Parts: sequence; C-alpha cells; structure tokens
Amino acid sequence: MLRFTATRLLRAAITIVMVVTFAFVVLRLSGDPAQIIMGADAPPEAVDAFRTAWGLDEPIWVQYISYFGAIFSGDLGRSMRDGREAIVLVLERIPATLALTVPALVIKLALGIPAGILAALYRNSALDRAVMMFAVAGFTIPSFVLGLLLVLVFAVQLGWLPSGGQESWRHAILPVITLGIGGAAALARFTRSAMLEVLGQPYIRTASAKGVAWRRVVANHALPNAAIPTVTIIGFMFGSLIAGAVVVESVFSWPGVGRLLVTAVSNRDLAVVQCILLLVAMTMITANLVVDLLYGVLDPRLRGGARKAEA
Amino acid sequence: MLNRRSLLIAPPALLATPALGQSDQRPSITIAVQKIVNSNTLEVLREQSNVGERVFYSSLWEGLIGRNWMGNLESVPGLATEWRRIDDRTVELDLREGVRFHNGDVMTAEDVAFTFGRERMFGGEAGGNTPLFQQIPAAGRGGREPPPEVPAVARRIWPALERVEIVNPHRVRIVNRTPDVTLEGRLARYGSDIISRRGFSEAATWLDWARKPITTGPYKVAEFRPDVSLTLVAHDEYWGGRPPLRQIRFVEVPEVSSRINGLLSGEYHFACDIPPDQIQGIERNRTFEVQGGTILNHRLTVFDKNHPTLADARVRRALTHSIDRQAIVDSLWAGRTVVPKGLQWEYYGDMFHADWSVPRFDLAEARRLLREANYRGEPIPYRLLAGYYTNQNATAQVLVEMWRAAGLNVQIQTVENWAQIFDRSTPRAIRDWSNSAPFNDPVSSLVNQHGPRGQQQQVGEWTNEEFNRLSGELETSTDRARRRAVFRRMLEIAEREDPAFTVLHQNATFTAKRRDIRWKASPAFAMDFRPGNWGA
Repeated sequence: MLRFTATRLLRAAITIVMVVTFAFVVLRLSGDPAQIIMGADAPPEAVDAFRTAWGLDEPIWVQYISYFGAIFSGDLGRSMRDGREAIVLVLERIPATLALTVPALVIKLALGIPAGILAALYRNSALDRAVMMFAVAGFTIPSFVLGLLLVLVFAVQLGWLPSGGQESWRHAILPVITLGIGGAAALARFTRSAMLEVLGQPYIRTASAKGVAWRRVVANHALPNAAIPTVTIIGFMFGSLIAGAVVVESVFSWPGVGRLLVTAVSNRDLAVVQCILLLVAMTMITANLVVDLLYGVLDPRLRGGARKAEA
Repeated sequence: MLNRRSLLIAPPALLATPALGQSDQRPSITIAVQKIVNSNTLEVLREQSNVGERVFYSSLWEGLIGRNWMGNLESVPGLATEWRRIDDRTVELDLREGVRFHNGDVMTAEDVAFTFGRERMFGGEAGGNTPLFQQIPAAGRGGREPPPEVPAVARRIWPALERVEIVNPHRVRIVNRTPDVTLEGRLARYGSDIISRRGFSEAATWLDWARKPITTGPYKVAEFRPDVSLTLVAHDEYWGGRPPLRQIRFVEVPEVSSRINGLLSGEYHFACDIPPDQIQGIERNRTFEVQGGTILNHRLTVFDKNHPTLADARVRRALTHSIDRQAIVDSLWAGRTVVPKGLQWEYYGDMFHADWSVPRFDLAEARRLLREANYRGEPIPYRLLAGYYTNQNATAQVLVEMWRAAGLNVQIQTVENWAQIFDRSTPRAIRDWSNSAPFNDPVSSLVNQHGPRGQQQQVGEWTNEEFNRLSGELETSTDRARRRAVFRRMLEIAEREDPAFTVLHQNATFTAKRRDIRWKASPAFAMDFRPGNWGA
C-alpha cells in the first residue's frame, strides 16, 4: 500500500511540474505580459519600465529557473496586475467558487445517480426514455446557453431570482442549477450504462436464479460493481470543484476562481495563472488518488495483495 | 435587492423619494460595466484606460482645470477658479477656497505641490531588474514607492515639469523647463488631478492608497473589490453642492447579455458598453433607452511602412482611398457615430482644421495608385486582435472586401494579444488602433501617438523626418498661427503623403438605462453624477 501511494505521489509531482512548465511556456511565448497588462495605449516607456521591473526582459530560461526556484522555496509569486501575492488572490476566490460547485455537486449526485439507476432498472420503458431525453438535453446544452435561458425565464420574465452577482444566497440559485443540471445529466448517462452492463453479467443471473430478492440483487451485486466507472466520473467532478465553473461564473458575474483565471490568462498574469493551475492539478490528482484507493475498496480484485496473489 | 417589480412600482422613487436609508433619502444606483478598471487600482497615474475614465470622472478625481463633461469637454474652472499665463513656461492658478478632501481636510497649495511632486508622481530614479514575479511593486520605502510604470506615465504627461511654486496658500505656479502652450491642457487632462497629501502619507502602502485615493470628487470610495465591484458614497462636503446620489455601485458584468438581462430585470439602473447591434432590441421596450454617442477617440487603421509592399507610399494611399467609411458607420454603427475630419477634434479650438477631411473614398484613384506602384497582388498581412474594439471583427472583414474591390490582397491574421500584434519576427503591415486626445491640442494625439516618442515610431512601424521635426516645433512653439500651420502639414504627411494611419470613424460608447431616470450621458466615457445631471 505504501509503495502504491508513493508511486502515485511521484506521478502526481511529475504531472504538476509538467503542467506548470507547459503553462509557463505557452503563456510566456504567446505574448509579452508587459504590453498586455499595460494596454495598447500605454506609453512605451511605461511598458519598458514594467518589463524591467518584473524581470520580463531576462531570457526566458532565466525567468523559468527563477520562477521554479521561488516555487520550491514556497513562494508562488505575485500578481503583475496589482502586486498582491498570487496565492492570496486565489484563496480569496475559492470560497465563492465552492459556494457554487459544492451544491452543484450535491445536485449532480442526488439527481444523476438515482436517475441513471432507475433508467437502467426500467430499461426501454417510458421512464427510461424520459430520463435519457432530459439527460441528453442537459448534457448537450452548453452551460452558457442554459444559464442565459434560466436568467431570461426566472430573472427577466418572472422576476423571481437575480440575474447575476453574489450579494445573497438567492444569487447562487441559478448558477448552481446551471452547473448541476449538466453534471447530473452526464452522471445519469454513465450510471445507466454501468448498471446495464452489470445487470447483464452472469453473476446477476446466478443471484436471481438462486432466488435472491431482486432488491437485494441490485443493492448487493449490481450497485457496487456499477459504482466503479461512476466513481471515476465523480472523481473528475471533485477534481473540478476549484475551476469547474469558468463559463458559469462569467455568465452570472460570480467572482470565483474561474473568472480570476479568465482575467489572469487574458492579462498573462503568470503567477496567478500558475497558482490556479497548481491548485487545480493538485485537486485533480488528489481526487484521482482517492478514486484509485476507492477502486480497491469497491473491488477486492484491484487491491495490491489480490493482484499479487493472482500473479 | 431591487428587482424588476419594485422598480415598476416605484420609478419615481429612484428620482425623488427613495427610502433606501432611514435618514438619507437620496437614491442609490447600480451600474453594470464590462470592466471597472484594468489595473485593479483607482490611481489615475496607473489606470490609463477608457474604463477608468468612466468611474473616475466626475465622481472621484478632479483637477485644477476641469472639463465640461456635459458640454463639449472644453476647459472650465475646477479646483482652480482662475488661471493666467505668466510667461511661456509658467501658468499661475488661483485655488478654489473651501474645497474639502474626502478625509475632511481643506485643500491647500501644499496639496497641489505634493500632487506634482517626486514622492507621488515621479518616484525615485532607482530601478533595475528583479526576478520574475518576485518584485513587490510598492516595496520601496516600506511599500510607499509607486510602481515603476507610474513615473513613466507621469513623465509622459509632464515631460518637462520643473516645479510647482507656492505663491500663497491659495495660489500656485506651474513652471515648465521649456516653453509650452499646452500647459493648461495638460493641467486639464486625465492624470493631473489633485490628491490629499495627508491621505497619501497616511496610507500604509502605495497599493492601499491606490485602492482608496483621497481626492475631492463628489463621491468617495467606500469599498473596492477588484474585478467585482466598486462602491462610491456621497462626499457631502463637496464644494460643488451635495451630491444627488447616496451611493453609486459599479459592478463588473463581463457578458453583454448578462448586463442587458440585469437591466431588464431591474437589478441594474444602468448597463454600459452596449454594442450598437443591441440598441434596437433594448429600445423596443419603451421602459428603456440607450444614451451615448461619440467620444474623444478615433478608430484607426495603422500601417507599417517597413513591409516590402507598404514601403511604397502609393500602396498605403490606395488603402486609404479604398475605404467607404460612411458605409461602415451606417451599417455597423447604425449611423450613431461619424466619420471625423482626420485625427483631430473640434475641442482643439483654433487648432482644429474644419476644412480637413479623411482621404475620400475613390476606387478609381486607388486602382491608379496601385498601377503606378506596380502592385501585383502581393499578400498584405492584417493582424487582428479580434474583439478588442467594438465591431472590430465585422469592420475588419468589411475593410478586406473593400480593399479587394480596389485590387488589394489583404489577409487577416487573427492574433491573441497586443504583444503578438507588435511582434517583429514576421512581417507586419496593417493593424487596428484607436487614438484619444487627452487634452485639447494636437500634441495630445498626433505627436504623442505618432511622433518620435509615440507608440507607432517606438514599435518601429513608421517614421518621417519632416514629421518628426515638426513634432518638436508643435511641442515647443508658442506662435499659435505657426503651430496651426505645422499641425496642418503634419496631417498632410501622416494621413495623405506618407500615410502612417488612416482614420476610419469616431468611436462611440452606449449606455442603456430606464427611460424615466433623468440623466444625460456625456460625450466621453465619463459618467457625470454631480448635482445638475440627476433628476433635472
């Protein structure tokens, strides 16, 4: 188990280094932050002063080493827009994003999994078709279109809810629904597929033939086995808690990490972009690690000991 | 929160009797903007942008010489009641008495001198490299030193300021090192606004100051959440009378559809940065109207004469003659802007050349010039930063077709940012730009943007020996007749003989609001919420 965890952690560290390096190279080679941040109308001498002050006139490899040196000493750098620590800027925005993504995740789980199970259990019935119709619609409608539709109906036409901003809990309702519906739809489709595959397995037939109650067959044999692919998708959803609402935050003017990322990328505010990427990569990697460990819990065959025994 | 229903019930409440506070009966408003500021600061010397102008003027910042925001932007008394020329290098100003800063202090000549001093405006000379990302912009002297771009901007605004003399507590003299007829204009421009010395000194860091500057405007900063909102509250000791609004809240709403939806649902009283193609849809609902119009900013197409094809001025001239500017104004701007008389504005006063015009639309002339230049359809790259300017993509496509009609083979290259626009690693030829006139003299635009120290020459796109000599003369000459002639000649060079650019149209900005809110837009990005422009 220790070796398993250590291997995963090493892979995670390599992934993070690659992500940050890739982001550095792409952002740095695709535009001069000084010109972008100072704007098209800034006096050339102001742009030069900015470039010199932030070390952007150094060769790119010097900048890269300098940046990584700082990271390893625990300094994630400062925003070039206003000089504040990048980590502070990002941490300030995380609660706002979590206020959307966590309730949205609850909606995804609460709607998506039961809907997928029901659709599988009543395959080819009216219920199955209805669930899949909504799932396909929810999965395919882009979140910005769905968000605007909800705003038009519930804010503009009915006047029940605010159209954007972050002043109260009511402001979170539409963005949470927008985020939740798409994820629930995806989860319903995956859960249904996984359940259908499991329900066709010989051990399900065997259990039924033995006279086990159908409810117990589903609960004890079908659901745990169908959970493996579903848990993978849920892991991705956990991984995107930090930066999974970029579009929705823009549509609803919600000041979260997603909007900060958009602003930082467009300004080539490298320290902020890379700080967000680091956090996202770490969240995703942690989620994957947890999923890997859960595989072992859900399926004894995947545990290290069992593998060895099989070998 | 104000919703659509509450607004429908009480439109007069917004204007006269809103009860949003128990003791203060003045209304509060919310304004949705695409961007509050670009730099995340509210310091005029750091935030050099149109969006900054909107939140700064005339709510927050004020200069010694003001601008008539609700007129033609001409100079008017501001924090100085009168001014006079002492000589070619010196302007003397009488300070308005009884002006109070947001911290309650009375404005004095000391504050004026401090505003233009090294500590606040020009900073230290020390510089040098620091490792990437590790610099703390306000690290000098306990975080009080302005970041390096601030002195650079200040030196651009005041390239030869020698000193500010305090004649007496209510009179100062601005002394320049060189003769300069534009001193009054520079005093009226964005960036020459007066600050409280005590307010600046008491701020823990420069950033703290820049996020809550202590100035004299009718509203003061209550809360600034960068990228989210800016809340201003009434400064009741304002010299110009009690502000009509209790609170102004700017909220950042990046998506235009979200701004419009918020307006329609009653959450926002104003929605700014409305594209021309949305105006008709908004005004279809009689409850709302769209105000605004031309501003002191012209859209240009800029040329790089180092490109092998554009090195021949006749090709550039052909480009300028192939454009039907009025068609662009009529089709893409619904006729809500104009084709100006070249790179100049009427508020230049006697420096304005009313008989000047942009190159006429003349396809036959364009084709003749191309024949003379022996142009054979060589591709001409047009670097396009899509979506930066209003209608930019559509305008670019229209331009390419117009040029094609004249026989020019212009090819759009979409890029992502300004650094890629200026990148010299591959040939540059055409790009988009816009030019403003920060003060009422051609030095503020033609010289500052296209002269020897201007961006176009600094990035190596264009230069002209005669033009550069005349730039110097325009900056230093005090003979108004001669200056007028020099300006005319510079227009001839830069727009016709050896085109550096060509003006397409004047830019415009549009603000949607409830029709029953009695407020007028100014001919600028600035939004005026002083007494006299609310409920009148």
